[in-house]
Amino acid sequence: MNAITPNAPVLPAPVGLLAELTHRCPLRCPYCSNPLELDRRSGELDTATWQRVLTEAAALGVLHVHLSGGEPTARNDIVEITQTCAKLGLYSNLITSGVGGALAKLDALYDVGLDHVQLSVQGVDAANAEKIGGLKNAQPQKFAFAERVTQLGLPLTLNSVIHRGNIHEVEGFIDLAVKLGAKRLEVAHTQYYGWAYVNRAALMPNKAEVDRSIRIVEAARERLKGQLVIDLVVPDYYAKYPKACAGGWGRKLMNVTPQGKVLPCHAAETIPNLEFWYVSEHSLADIWAHSPAFTAYRGTDWMKEPCRSCDRREKDWGGCRCQALALAGDAAATDPACSLSPLHAKVRDLAVEEAAEIPPDYVYRTIGSNVQPNVRTPLNEEAPL
Amino acid sequence: MTAPFPTPKPDEAQRLLTPEELEAALRDIGARRYHNLHPFHRLLHDGKLNKDQVRAWALNRYYYQAMIPVKDAAILARMEDASLRRVWRQRIVDHDGDAPGDGGIERWLKLAEGVGFARDYVESTDGILSATRFSVDAYVHFVKERSLLEAIASSLTEMFSPTIISERVAGMLKNYDFITKDTLAYFDKRLTQAPRDAEFAIEYVKRHATTPEKQRQAMAALTFKCNVLWTQLDALYHAYVAPGMIPPDAWTPGTGLVPEPARAAGTGTIGAQDVPRLPRGVRLRHDAVRDQHVLLAPERTFDLDANAVAVLELVDGTRTVRDIARALGEKFTADPAVIEADILVMLNDLATKRVLER
Repeated sequence: MNAITPNAPVLPAPVGLLAELTHRCPLRCPYCSNPLELDRRSGELDTATWQRVLTEAAALGVLHVHLSGGEPTARNDIVEITQTCAKLGLYSNLITSGVGGALAKLDALYDVGLDHVQLSVQGVDAANAEKIGGLKNAQPQKFAFAERVTQLGLPLTLNSVIHRGNIHEVEGFIDLAVKLGAKRLEVAHTQYYGWAYVNRAALMPNKAEVDRSIRIVEAARERLKGQLVIDLVVPDYYAKYPKACAGGWGRKLMNVTPQGKVLPCHAAETIPNLEFWYVSEHSLADIWAHSPAFTAYRGTDWMKEPCRSCDRREKDWGGCRCQALALAGDAAATDPACSLSPLHAKVRDLAVEEAAEIPPDYVYRTIGSNVQPNVRTPLNEEAPL
Repeated sequence: MTAPFPTPKPDEAQRLLTPEELEAALRDIGARRYHNLHPFHRLLHDGKLNKDQVRAWALNRYYYQAMIPVKDAAILARMEDASLRRVWRQRIVDHDGDAPGDGGIERWLKLAEGVGFARDYVESTDGILSATRFSVDAYVHFVKERSLLEAIASSLTEMFSPTIISERVAGMLKNYDFITKDTLAYFDKRLTQAPRDAEFAIEYVKRHATTPEKQRQAMAALTFKCNVLWTQLDALYHAYVAPGMIPPDAWTPGTGLVPEPARAAGTGTIGAQDVPRLPRGVRLRHDAVRDQHVLLAPERTFDLDANAVAVLELVDGTRTVRDIARALGEKFTADPAVIEADILVMLNDLATKRVLER
């Protein structure tokens, strides 16, 4: 299919650019959204290339740039890159672990016009948090970083990825956000791609825990209205309808990897036979409009039933392609997180079953690991679990 | 001691009124003398009082509320008929409640707390005007010393109270941003209790005022009670409105209050006098690609219509909401009061989303 024909509706411009500046990170979280095969430092784009990419992004209509990784402050040129965003009028959002060199660079980032900081917190209890993140002494560094963020007057969002190892701490995350002076808190249940897919059995909470966490968030939203905004991402496997992944494939977001590969979402590389284009060979506008990876699942032409005739098809855009591939074995299938998918009951059963088992140890994220992407066989309707 | 209250003189000429004529005569007293006509109440209901003047009213009126069950217990003690007592004792239950935290006095304390007072200070009645104390005490003495008919007739001001309560609640909610529906919960109950009580009392008076003299006594008792209420407002007006002569030892603004918790920077409701601003990390920008204005904020973008842009362009960290409304009123030749109400809704919505502060 080709979404860009003269008669096709005007292609909307992307609003967000996720700039994965590096895959290097002091933390080793077992749910990391980075791919299992991490880019090495030697292959990372240089400063000038990032600056060109940002310039092209601004011209294309991007408004928000998410400076991410890995740990983005691991790059020596993070201040220059942030300054480029500010000069272009791009809204810069630093997505950081707050450890390592983050604090040392924070004032300089503020001075060049950084707009917002999103700080990850793995747990509330330090020992638990440091076990999940796989780094000793991370928690005090994070707190010191958060303190400086609010001292400078920068808006702070705390991001907590929720799973069975910290779901009992949801109240604690809310209290922590208030204590650290955050204006926003993301209570984001783990999305099971990449490292989280490998670690699913170690991470999957049970339904009662999930329901409890949702009740706590709803009560806190009311109590802290006007003080703290809480965004809640509910876990797919227990949901009724899937989320519109990245706002719909090729509709809102572009993701540039450390090596300059441009993806419609950060997990898109798990889909085999998709052709990704690189910023070194194509302009961002060209990639957005014509890259085979972007056109493959853009719009609704690629859909099968039950998506094809579903009246929600332009709300959730069929859900997540990567999850469809992982669970159904077909990236063009309905996301099994959707209750209309024939596999949905199995997905839920699987979650229930895994959550009931004793959790296995984490497989920590590491560069150069030999963890294989397809450690699981997709579900099918007939085969028993 | 001489009775402090004027006793109606026997008037041989006065004929016996029918019960209906008596009720009309009693209602006429209310129409001319009930304290809804007092200038202080007009100011209160029209939003013309400042917060301290409303506080003075709430504080003084507490003494009246607190003594109502004492007054009703005195009346109850004089009733020899069990069926009468069964009805009358409900008034005491209504005011005292069946348990701590319940009842009309408690709801009045909530009102006083709602306008900023410390509960202990209100309960102490240390700061009330002497005129309040004298008036209320006179009322209690009156029901003890006069006939049961006069005591019951003096409660008939309740016939007039639903009107004043409706005016008061509507007016105060509309005009004072520090008054909430919860604060005024006292009056919700009284809207149903007062008519029930008044109905019983008027029937009693109509049945028992069987001579011209008793009818005159009943009318005089109601006049007396209207004066009890009126005098309290005279004193409030004199002390806290004009000429502002606060007697020694009476409450002065700033005392007896719970220290207001310092509002956390940036949070809370935005009022007309507040100066809104876009905090760091929130930017108004023209998006050239889509040719529209957007508000860029942490992890989100707000698409803005022309009205929202006109408002946000004036949010500069120096103008108050009222200034902004005035400027927009001139620009669009519209009523600034209407604009102010509209933009307060919009600005508070943005504040709730933590993208606007004051």
